[in-house]
Amino acid sequence: MKIEVLFPEICNLYGDLANIRYLKECIPEVEIIKTSLQDRPGFLEEEMDLVYMGTTTENGQHLALNQLRPYRQQILDKVDEGTRFLITGNAMELFGERIEEDGVEEAVCLGLFPGIARRSSVNRFNSLFVGEFHPNRTEGTEEKDKSGGEAKMPAGEKIEVVGFMSQFGHMYDVENEGTLEKIALFNSLRGPGMNMEQKNEGIRINNFLATYVIGPLLILNPPFTKWFIKDYLGYPIEKLVYEEAAMDSYTHRLKEYKDPKTGLYYWGGTNQRPAGY
Amino acid sequence: MRSVTFYIALWMAKLAVIALKVTGHQGTNFPGKVVLKICPDFLRMAGGPEKILGVTGTNGKTTVCNLLISMFKADGKKVLDNNKGSNTITGLCTAFIKDMTPGGKFKSDLAVLEIDERSSRVVFPMMAPTMLLINNLTRDSIMRNGHPEYISRILTNSMPPETKLLLNGDDLIASSVAPANPRKYFGIESMDTDVEECINLVNDLQICPNCHGLLKYTNRRYHHIGRAYCPNCGFKSPECDYLAGDIDTVSMRMKVNGNSYRLLNDSVFNIYNVLAVVAYMSELGYTPEQIEGLLEKTEIVESRYRVEEAGGYRIIRQMSKDRNALGSSRAFDYVSSQPGDKEIILMMNNLSDAAEWSENTCWLYDCDFEFLNRENIRNIVATGPRARDYYLRLKMAGIDDDRISLVDDELSAPEALKLYQGESIYILFGTDSIELSEKVSGMVKKQIESAAKATDAGANTDEGRKD
Repeated sequence: MKIEVLFPEICNLYGDLANIRYLKECIPEVEIIKTSLQDRPGFLEEEMDLVYMGTTTENGQHLALNQLRPYRQQILDKVDEGTRFLITGNAMELFGERIEEDGVEEAVCLGLFPGIARRSSVNRFNSLFVGEFHPNRTEGTEEKDKSGGEAKMPAGEKIEVVGFMSQFGHMYDVENEGTLEKIALFNSLRGPGMNMEQKNEGIRINNFLATYVIGPLLILNPPFTKWFIKDYLGYPIEKLVYEEAAMDSYTHRLKEYKDPKTGLYYWGGTNQRPAGY
Repeated sequence: MRSVTFYIALWMAKLAVIALKVTGHQGTNFPGKVVLKICPDFLRMAGGPEKILGVTGTNGKTTVCNLLISMFKADGKKVLDNNKGSNTITGLCTAFIKDMTPGGKFKSDLAVLEIDERSSRVVFPMMAPTMLLINNLTRDSIMRNGHPEYISRILTNSMPPETKLLLNGDDLIASSVAPANPRKYFGIESMDTDVEECINLVNDLQICPNCHGLLKYTNRRYHHIGRAYCPNCGFKSPECDYLAGDIDTVSMRMKVNGNSYRLLNDSVFNIYNVLAVVAYMSELGYTPEQIEGLLEKTEIVESRYRVEEAGGYRIIRQMSKDRNALGSSRAFDYVSSQPGDKEIILMMNNLSDAAEWSENTCWLYDCDFEFLNRENIRNIVATGPRARDYYLRLKMAGIDDDRISLVDDELSAPEALKLYQGESIYILFGTDSIELSEKVSGMVKKQIESAAKATDAGANTDEGRKD
């Protein structure tokens, strides 16, 4: 099994790379291929079992885009063909239409899905997140996402997912196409989705998975990780590494985050929403 | 030009200071809030003492400020400082208010101000430091600070052009702030512990700022701190105006530009702190002899690091900044490198986060818990609101179950100590846990006493049996 990590020298913020270290521990025979900014992405040349890209700086977004943009069509083709991608944090924004900062266009992105990342250099957004993941989601749902309301996802098996968001912006206008609910990765139970008005979070198109949830997503969510390794990557695993400790932490965190008494947002210690939120 | 509003604001704030004192409140922000509410331009109109000396950066601000304040006071100077208050604009205003007479004159000869790096964008348009030290820029609170590149951009964009910079030349992120400003660099030539490859999880400057090729490091202390160059375009770390060498952590001396100085602590972090102070004082015209004389009269503040002996054990309370992966990595590296057996109570939870929401623990996975996986660390007690997260992270660092204990309540954590005779017991606490760490330290002492009594009782019983 091969996992390609794109641009780890810059896409490495907030503990994101711990996901790959954890996968390596759970799947000892996995080969980790690190692709730097000087290299052509390996998944364009050979089959990878997973392509991973983590959170980066705002300048890092430009550098990564400069590397990926020449291969835009090939990347979209790979997503169509079912290549597995896990993209976390603001790396997700690179696959939307464009990034704007304080109303000014910053970068044209790869256009895998509709959506504009709008960020502010002043307001940093922080939130806890607890949502649901539907492993057996089928394309298409009956109702469109309602602003601020519960997202409508198909019935069936559900896995609860916990995590953190810490970012300078959100994605907007994904819902304009009426498609977000069809392509969302999670639906939020507490915490924002793609933006404060959305409950649908992240992107799932074929085997392309992307989320604003940062950090050790796979370590903090053993039920999701079991699905990820067993069903998504197709590796026969019965027990995760440190599963008991991970489940203990997960259960504790899930209860904490679902408790309405637990504050959800962090506004720089002021507990007051800044303008723009 | 000061307005009438300025004086009204000053007097109101001074009344607030008196009211706080009478009611026994600390209130390091409140007078500043009052003054800014009435006169938002207060800091700009206030001016300041003849010299405003600023210190900013991710780690070491408080230590460096305390050392500078202590040295200036030992030199007979009156110092305006914010070392007991906040390092944001309200804390700075409070410090100014306290130092000013009702007529608006400053009592002090100079100001030594710790300035929160993120607050620089609101502070610097109001107040231009005469000189500003940037000790380092590394990862800090994910929620507030994002990443060091973001903080570097804030500092560069808000830097007053007249401010002279004193920069850590071994930190390419800090040393590249505000390139148009006048500047001096300090750095360490080499240390026995230097490496080339990064052994830490976090390395925030892996690519050349010019050509984006991979940088190489010759003398790397840790993370991205060290001497770097780009094999592709020739970019390299700046030449240092104050270069430390001959660092001897046994005799606790180092040389800076050939002159010998006392070290206050043998951690690399604190060697940089003392070097920064030497560079600062030198830039202000103090001679090496004067600086060394003043250094002899200073110590590192005890609230952050304290060693006590109890019943044959050493109890060390050491601040290990919560939510700060690099700061905690340094603390772990230091603790693990100390000789002898040890046990650790890990309680770097952020208590205010725990009260308001739930701490973002992503930083645990940027932090080198792997340093704690050493044989002479015989037991680690993970405790507090995030005990389970620590426990999981320690396991991922490869530490065996029989060397980790999980205790929810910090005050019960000492009960999980195994108390190996003659060992050191480290209590690693977070920025808002000083008081709690003192209580835990007290409980550790009680635990040691109980264990000693139990041993004595056992010995007496044995003796009785012998009789």
